[in-house]
Amino acid sequence: MKQTALRKLLKDVGEKYFMPGKPLAKLYPLYDAADTFFFTPDARTSGTTHVRDCVDFKRMMIFVVYALIPCLLMGLYNVGFQANRLIEAGAKAPLDWHGSILNSLSHAIPVYDSSSIFGCFVYGFVYWLPVYVVTMVVGLFWEILFAGIYKEEVNEGFFVTGFLFPLICPATVPLWQVALAISFGVVIGKEIFGGTGRNFLNPALVARAFLFFAYAGQISGDKVWTAVDGFSKATPLSCAAGGAEALASAGYTIRDCFVGVIPGAVGETSTVACLIGMVFLLIVGIASWRVMASMFVGGMGLAALLTLCGPDAVAARPALALGPQWHFVMGGFAFGMVFMATDPVTSAATKIGQYVYGLLVGALVIVVRVFNPAYPEGVMLVILFGNCVAPLIDYCVVQANIRRRMKRLETR
Amino acid sequence: MANESTTKTFTVAALLAIVCAIIVSLANVSLKDLQRQNQTLDRQTNILRAAGLVQPTEKVTGAQAAELFKKSAAIVVDLQSGEIVPDADPEAVEADKTNLRPLDKADDIAGIGSVPKLGVVYLFFNDDGTLDAVTLPIVGTGLWSTLYGFLSLHSDYATVKRLVFYDHGETPGLGGEISNPTWDRKWEGKIAVDKEGEPIIAVVKGTVNPDAQGAASMVDGISGATLTGKGVTNTIRFWLGDNGYGPFLKKLRFDEIELPAPTADRKDEK
Amino acid sequence: MKFSESSKDSFIKPLFKNNPIFVQILGVCSALAVTTSLKTALTMALAVTFVTAFSNVGVALIRKVIPGSIRMIVEMTIIATLVILVDQLIKAFSYNLSKQLSVYVGLIITNCIVMGRAEAFAIKNKVGDSLLDGIGNGLGYGAVLLVVAFFRELFGFGKLFGIVVFPTVQNGGWYVPNGLMVTAPAAFFLIGGIIWLVKTCNKEMQDAE
Repeated sequence: MKQTALRKLLKDVGEKYFMPGKPLAKLYPLYDAADTFFFTPDARTSGTTHVRDCVDFKRMMIFVVYALIPCLLMGLYNVGFQANRLIEAGAKAPLDWHGSILNSLSHAIPVYDSSSIFGCFVYGFVYWLPVYVVTMVVGLFWEILFAGIYKEEVNEGFFVTGFLFPLICPATVPLWQVALAISFGVVIGKEIFGGTGRNFLNPALVARAFLFFAYAGQISGDKVWTAVDGFSKATPLSCAAGGAEALASAGYTIRDCFVGVIPGAVGETSTVACLIGMVFLLIVGIASWRVMASMFVGGMGLAALLTLCGPDAVAARPALALGPQWHFVMGGFAFGMVFMATDPVTSAATKIGQYVYGLLVGALVIVVRVFNPAYPEGVMLVILFGNCVAPLIDYCVVQANIRRRMKRLETR
Repeated sequence: MANESTTKTFTVAALLAIVCAIIVSLANVSLKDLQRQNQTLDRQTNILRAAGLVQPTEKVTGAQAAELFKKSAAIVVDLQSGEIVPDADPEAVEADKTNLRPLDKADDIAGIGSVPKLGVVYLFFNDDGTLDAVTLPIVGTGLWSTLYGFLSLHSDYATVKRLVFYDHGETPGLGGEISNPTWDRKWEGKIAVDKEGEPIIAVVKGTVNPDAQGAASMVDGISGATLTGKGVTNTIRFWLGDNGYGPFLKKLRFDEIELPAPTADRKDEK
Repeated sequence: MKFSESSKDSFIKPLFKNNPIFVQILGVCSALAVTTSLKTALTMALAVTFVTAFSNVGVALIRKVIPGSIRMIVEMTIIATLVILVDQLIKAFSYNLSKQLSVYVGLIITNCIVMGRAEAFAIKNKVGDSLLDGIGNGLGYGAVLLVVAFFRELFGFGKLFGIVVFPTVQNGGWYVPNGLMVTAPAAFFLIGGIIWLVKTCNKEMQDAE
């Protein structure tokens, strides 16, 4: 077999240092991860089962990351755009170290100009990159540690988790909180259950939920969503309790929400970017269309039903009348639907189960948004709840199937 | 086994019951006074903290509290008319469960369903006999729970002297911060009612801009606890309004009724 | 008084090897409720130790005359009496703590550790051994409570025994309190973490797979 220089280098280094008995044997998972990152492993299944597919686990995870790129690009632009709009309206530019970086960049790049797409993008990048780096460094630390304990290889599942997590945070999240949250997400959400594939909760969402409960004062409220100093702007969701009129008076339109030029978590604001990602995922056949479709139907169906409420009920709870057109474009519904609920490990696995799971999650999101006074956004917690009941749903589906077959056997 | 005979079963049961009953009743009887003192002192401490006579973390003994209460008077007020009910016993009024008037939904901004017909108000006097503070018990609904507290006004019946919430079930660290003395302190000196005596004070979102119109009647919100803040605003506005102590406070303010003397002086008269 | 090897065991085992919380998984409900601060946890630990110790003594004292048919009712009565006694004492001498502990002192009666030890140990052992077993279990329970409370109070409020260790941002300091620690699930995570740690370090404690 002809080997490239890189292949040879990796092989030599591996044999010299990382094989059992060699000085760095404990770090073998790290070597293995690097090795398989560059080259598809040539190991074959040794048992009697054989699945032939060029998309192995690693490629599958990379595809999810590709699908997230529109959300990321749009989100980074939007972080800068939102901040610059506020600065132009009289808010102060950030005063912390983000501000110093931006100031020094502003000589070369128009970072403080809301009309410059590139400038806004760089603005967002300055906020996003540190969060992403911290997420990856801390997360991979735990991954490698546990891979060593379990004597398994480091798994690419984390690349998706690590990519997702910064996208569902506000851009201004403090880095130490990122480090704590991703540690909690990876360890409690995944590793204690035995690592990728055995976790029943989505680790990125666990990390986000940790932030939400542990540092609620910093992570909720209106201040966090915009990357400027001490200025607050309510997100569409926090206006939504007041109904469509409150949204309109805050200056939000469905079009803006759909495109994603609204304050919110970095990657969640743009519905259109999520839909581009969705199309990609469906074409390569990674995410379950059943989950997406049923979550859409469950959520939008309930939202549409609620608009039928009488005028008295709507007067008392204006959010009832919002309707699907708003619910779909606000907050993290689309993002959750495309990237979170469809996580193959934590969603339901049976076909019927996936329909049930999607309907349940979709409908519950609307229930939380409309009826809960304290949590304007329900997507994160509802999907975690869906993760918890997914095994139960699957169990019921499997049992029902067994019963049906038994019956068929008896009647024969 | 002899243990299983019916007589023995009954004897053991009866003896055990008697011994246990004696222990329990002895404990209850001998400790009752102490427990009651504790309860009274706890309530008095809360009132004194609200009146600004005791600092938030300071502890007081029963004797100290009694001394401070000498310069006070607990009076019973007919909330609707705003008149003082001269001969009513404050303790009896507080204990009376039938002393309630249901509220219309539109009036019930504090979310409490019904309001007492007779309310108890604590007056605290300076050494020269002038009024120092008037302390009102307040109760209302926050985000998750009922908030219990005391609100003290200065002798102009408009400026807040201090606000204390002593019991609530809001989220610790968020809405729960309403019982943090640091936040309670922000109420000091705020103007609670306008010139006509209508409540105008409010908790705002974020920090108060000192240049804003009406900033003297605005209090910094707690970050992440907008809805609890709304509950606090509504509670205070309710109790200072027409269904709460509003009529009484207006009468005091416009000199329509006279205040009674401190407890200690009244005892001297007797 | 000299204790035999077995009495030493009955005292020492529940402290760690047969700890009521992380080995027997008993009394977890109250461990969630009272561990937001060290003060309440300590009070609760002492209260439970008192009740398990003396209910064990009481049951052991009359173990030979208890008719089997009303055995559990007798145990329950003794426990209930002791719990009321503790509750009354705390209310009389430490009113603030009793407010914070609210119903949980009264709920010691439903704490499985107390009934469990009476039924599993005191009913068939000598008074001295039962006393030690009661104290041991109470302390084993209390130790876990204190560990959990240590983390919850320190990270949730920045305090230990009510004394400021990390001044919080709400009061002008630098520490951002962790709100999760204040909620009951944090106690679940901590107890789970303790079990994980203990079982990982002690091969003999691991469940057979």
